[in-house]
Amino acid sequence: MDDHRAVRTLYSGSSDLFNMNEATIEDTIPKDRPLIAPLAPMGVLRAEYENGNQVFVQQIDWLVNNGYKGIRRTRGDGDCFYRSLAFAYVERIMNSEDVDLNVMRAISTLEATPQMLLEVGFQELVFEDFLDIFKDLITRIVQPEPGRSRLTGRVLFDTFNNAEESNSIVMYLRLLTSAQIRLAPEDFAPFLFHPEIGEPMETVSFCENFVEAVGKEADHVQMTALTRALKINVNVAYLDGHARSDGVVTVDFVKFDNATEPEEPISLLYRPGHYDILDSKDQEDLTSLDPLW
Amino acid sequence: MSRVKRIAKELEECRQDAQSGVSLRLNNETDLTHLTGYFKGPPGTPYEKGTFQVDINIPNEYPFKPPQMKFLTKIYHPNISSVTGAICLDILKDAWTPILTLKSSLISLQSLLQSPEPSDPQDAEVAKHYISNKVGFDETAAYWTKLYASDGEKDGQAALSDSALYGIDDEIVTQFENMGFPRDKTILVLRRMGIKSFNNVTNKGETENKILEELLKECQ
Repeated sequence: MDDHRAVRTLYSGSSDLFNMNEATIEDTIPKDRPLIAPLAPMGVLRAEYENGNQVFVQQIDWLVNNGYKGIRRTRGDGDCFYRSLAFAYVERIMNSEDVDLNVMRAISTLEATPQMLLEVGFQELVFEDFLDIFKDLITRIVQPEPGRSRLTGRVLFDTFNNAEESNSIVMYLRLLTSAQIRLAPEDFAPFLFHPEIGEPMETVSFCENFVEAVGKEADHVQMTALTRALKINVNVAYLDGHARSDGVVTVDFVKFDNATEPEEPISLLYRPGHYDILDSKDQEDLTSLDPLW
Repeated sequence: MSRVKRIAKELEECRQDAQSGVSLRLNNETDLTHLTGYFKGPPGTPYEKGTFQVDINIPNEYPFKPPQMKFLTKIYHPNISSVTGAICLDILKDAWTPILTLKSSLISLQSLLQSPEPSDPQDAEVAKHYISNKVGFDETAAYWTKLYASDGEKDGQAALSDSALYGIDDEIVTQFENMGFPRDKTILVLRRMGIKSFNNVTNKGETENKILEELLKECQ
């Protein structure tokens, strides 16, 4: 559990981060935001902090200087980690060089997952539609269905803003995360704590209440489990508003390296209680065939 | 679209399953969003031998939002309104998850009949009765089951008195009836005051006076 150790170390150096988790960013984000917003320059986020904590501003500048020029924001509904990850996952396959190979790889990973869900007791009828929606979306990158266009940035964006499709994918990822945790209890059990009261929890109860339940925010356990199940690398930049003891401002990344082949990680931005997507571009690709922005 | 697909699958699954003892029926063959659920009262409870009907309304956001359920069959239970059939159960509210189904929800209702939660009531009067006099509660709940949830013909059954319906000792009602108060008003006042009998009352005279006061106000 290297991922956990990394986070523990990060936390132990900054007990305030725990306190910040109490009053989460999420509470201040309006609920009527789109599920997934268009890509925006980091300056938009920076402007929101300019009159507040200057370390946040410096951390945002650090991200820009290190190549993270854009942010794609998600609605603060507790599903933001799963939704951000799903969007970035499909987008990365869509924009990859060897699209055919990556689509095939993703589909074969996903096709192995229903067995995991069945094994831990989920009924096929409650998850098969969710998985179909997710697989169809990825398949459309290379193989448009009759009467439907090939997957483009526009279609991806619209799909993730359609509540039914978007929530179906989020739900599938939740169930997959839960199955991964339940199938390897020895890996996760020592890290299952009630997110509010901090008491240790039983695996099943943790999964039911904090993984499978809609709107329950993901933490390191869920992130580790999901990146393992999907066999991907994810880097999470922690924007915590704290300078190092020597006064230098940087941004710590927590890395979840679970890809079986070498690949660039998906980058997410974490502010206490909320996840967004980081991007090296600062606006949507205008050369796309169906410009919408 | 996927909502319809999912409900159709759930109906089919329920149809093929004779084990669980719950069943689902469409109110109208062309509408998959309005159903009626049926299940038997759990054995060893006052609801034993009753068949309970539940009205099911499926919201547009199903399965991301819970189905709306309420009892069509009148039932005497702390977590179910004795008037409207509204249900207080966490999985039908904020503890709902899309891995639950209509069938598993009905099974949860069946277990709710088995294990009432009087500390989190939907019907405060019924919960009070449950906590203060479990034997009397069981009697009333069994009366209601016989009266409203029996498969047999209603006419063939002995008429249940209106006082028994609310678990009120008939003697008190008769006492005030003999004083000239209408029976229905007496039951109404006794229910409102939460008085079922004089057995556990320490100062009977004082309680009688309070009931009289309320009755006089009610009958003005």
